[in-house]
Amino acid sequence: MWQTLVFGILNGALYGMIALGIALVFGIMKYLNVAHGSLIIVGAYGSLFLFRWGVDPFATIPVILVALFLGGAILFLSLFKRLIQFPEETKIKNSLLIGFGLMLVLDNLATFLWTGDERSITPSYSGITFQIFGLRLPLIGLSGGFLALLLISFLHLFLSRTYFGKAVRAVSQDHEAASLTGIDVSRTFLISFAISVGLAAIPSVLIGLQSFSPTAGIQWFNKGIIVVMLSGIGNIYGVFPAGLFLGIIEALSVFLFGAAYREVTGLVVFVLILILFPKGILGSRAD
Amino acid sequence: MNVAKKFWIPICVAAISASVPLLTKSEYFINLLVMLFLYVILSQSWNLQGGINGQISLGHSAFFGIGALITRMLWMSKIPILLAIIGGGLSSILLAGVVGIPCLRMKRGYFPIGTLGLAIIAQITVGNILPVPGSLPSEYIVGYSLSSRYYLALFVAILSILVAYFVVRSRTGWALVAIRDDEEAAEAVGIKTFRFKVKALLISSFIAGLGGGVFAYHQVSYYYQSPFELSWSFLPTLTTFIGGLGTILGPILGSVCFLALNELFAFTLGEIHLVIFGFTFIMIVLFFPGGLMSIPHRFESSSAMRRIWGKRSRSIP
Repeated sequence: MWQTLVFGILNGALYGMIALGIALVFGIMKYLNVAHGSLIIVGAYGSLFLFRWGVDPFATIPVILVALFLGGAILFLSLFKRLIQFPEETKIKNSLLIGFGLMLVLDNLATFLWTGDERSITPSYSGITFQIFGLRLPLIGLSGGFLALLLISFLHLFLSRTYFGKAVRAVSQDHEAASLTGIDVSRTFLISFAISVGLAAIPSVLIGLQSFSPTAGIQWFNKGIIVVMLSGIGNIYGVFPAGLFLGIIEALSVFLFGAAYREVTGLVVFVLILILFPKGILGSRAD
Repeated sequence: MNVAKKFWIPICVAAISASVPLLTKSEYFINLLVMLFLYVILSQSWNLQGGINGQISLGHSAFFGIGALITRMLWMSKIPILLAIIGGGLSSILLAGVVGIPCLRMKRGYFPIGTLGLAIIAQITVGNILPVPGSLPSEYIVGYSLSSRYYLALFVAILSILVAYFVVRSRTGWALVAIRDDEEAAEAVGIKTFRFKVKALLISSFIAGLGGGVFAYHQVSYYYQSPFELSWSFLPTLTTFIGGLGTILGPILGSVCFLALNELFAFTLGEIHLVIFGFTFIMIVLFFPGGLMSIPHRFESSSAMRRIWGKRSRSIP
C-alpha cells in the first residue's frame, strides 16, 4: 500500500512536469497543444541518440531543452501564430486541430525513423533503489521528483520576479488590456510557446529512462491535460499539486481495481471534472 | 422525373456501385470498396455532428466500437444480421445518451478533448474485459459471402448520405448550422440549442453504430477492442476536414482521397504517407477551412459545377 503510494507520488511529479508545459500555453494563450506529448517523445528519442554516443541522460537535458525551445519557436511561427486574433473558443478548437495534425506527422515520422519498437534509455544506475523505512525509492524517480521541484521553483521565480514573467501574467489575464499597456502580445506568445515546448525536455528524459514508443505521445498528453483540468485553467501554481494528486489517485486505483484500470481512473475523473466543474476544482483565480 | 433529373449523378454512382459485384470477381477490389463505404459512413456520421453542428468530437470510435461489439454479440447468438445491426445502432444511441449527452454540457472548446477521454476509457475497458480476438465460428465462415457484406455496406453508406442530406435540408439542419455559427445568437432567436445538439449527437451516433455493425459483419476475425481504437475517431475527422466540413460530398471525397492515398502509398512509403496526410490536414485547417470542396468556389465555378458541389458549403469560423 505505502509502496504504491510512493510510486504514485513519484509518477505524479512527472505528470506535474508534463502538465506545466501544457498549462503554460493553455492558461496564457488558450492554445491546446495536443502534440505536446509527441514533442516529449521526440525529445526522448533525441536523448536516447545522445546517450548512445556516451552522454549521461541527465546531461542531455540542457541540449534537448535548447533544441525543443528552438523547435517550439519554429512551430509557433509557422503554424500557431495565425490563430492569435481568433476568439477564445475558436483558438482552442483550431489549435487542437493543428496540434492533432502535428501529432500525426511527428508520431509517424518517429515510427519511420526509429521503427515502432519500444525503447528505453538504460544507464548503469537505472536499477538503483534506496531503502527507507522498508520502502523502496528508485534513484531515477527521486531525481525526477527533485528536478520537478527545481523546475517549479524556476518557473515561479521566472513568472513572479522577471519583467517578462509579469508580461506573461498580464497577457494571461487579459490580452487586449495587456497590449494596450504596450506589451508585445505576439512576442510574449512566441516566447511562452517556446518555453512550454522547451519544458518538455525534462519529462522527455525521464520518460526516456522508463520506456517509450513513437505512438506513446497521446497517453502522456492525456496525463498532462487531466492534471491541467484538475488544477484549473490559468492556474499555473496549482499544476504541481494536481499532478501529485493524479499520481496518488492512480496509485489508489491500482490498489483497489488492479493495474489494468490505472489509465481509466484518471480519465473518468477528467471527464467528470469537464462536465461538473468546467473551471477546475482546485480553485482557479483566472477569469 | 424532376428527382431523376436533379439527382442523376448520385443515382448513377449508386447504380454502378450496386453492380460492382456482378462485374468483377476481384476480392481485393470489393474489400477495398467495403472499406470505402465504412469510411463514408463514419465520415457522414462525424460530419453531422462535427461539420454541421460544429461539435468536433473525437469520441466516435466509442460509438463505432459499441456498434461493432453489440452487432457481433447479437449476430453470434443467432439473431439475423439485419436485426443485429439495428441493435448495434441502438446500443450506440444508448451509449450516446448515457455518456455523450453529459459531454454536451462541457464548454465548447473542451468537447473534443472530453470525448477523446471517453473514447480512451471505452477502448481500455473493452480491452480489459474482452482481451481475446473474436473469430467467427466455422459454420459462419462456410456461409461467408463477400457480396452480401458489400451490399450491406453500400446500403448503410447510402442511408448515411441520405440521412445527412435530409437533415441538412430540414429545419433541424438550419438550427444545427445556426448553433455552429453562433450559439448565443441561435439561443437568442429561440432555438433550443441543447435539444438540437442532443439530436445531432443521437443521429450521428446511430449512424456510427450502424457502421460498426458493418465492420463486425465484414471482418472474419478481430480483437474486440480494435474497432474502439482511436484511429476510428481520427479517421472521420481527417477525411471530413480534407473533403469539406459541413458538406454532403466533402466526407465522401475525403474518404476516397484517404483510401486512395492509403492504397497507393502505404506499401511504398510506409508511415510517410500518414506524415503527408497530417501535413495536408494542417494546411487545410490553416488555409482552406472549407476543405477540397471550397476549392472550386475559389475559382468561381460554372452554375453546373455549383449544382454538383451544392450551395451549402460554408467554411468553418
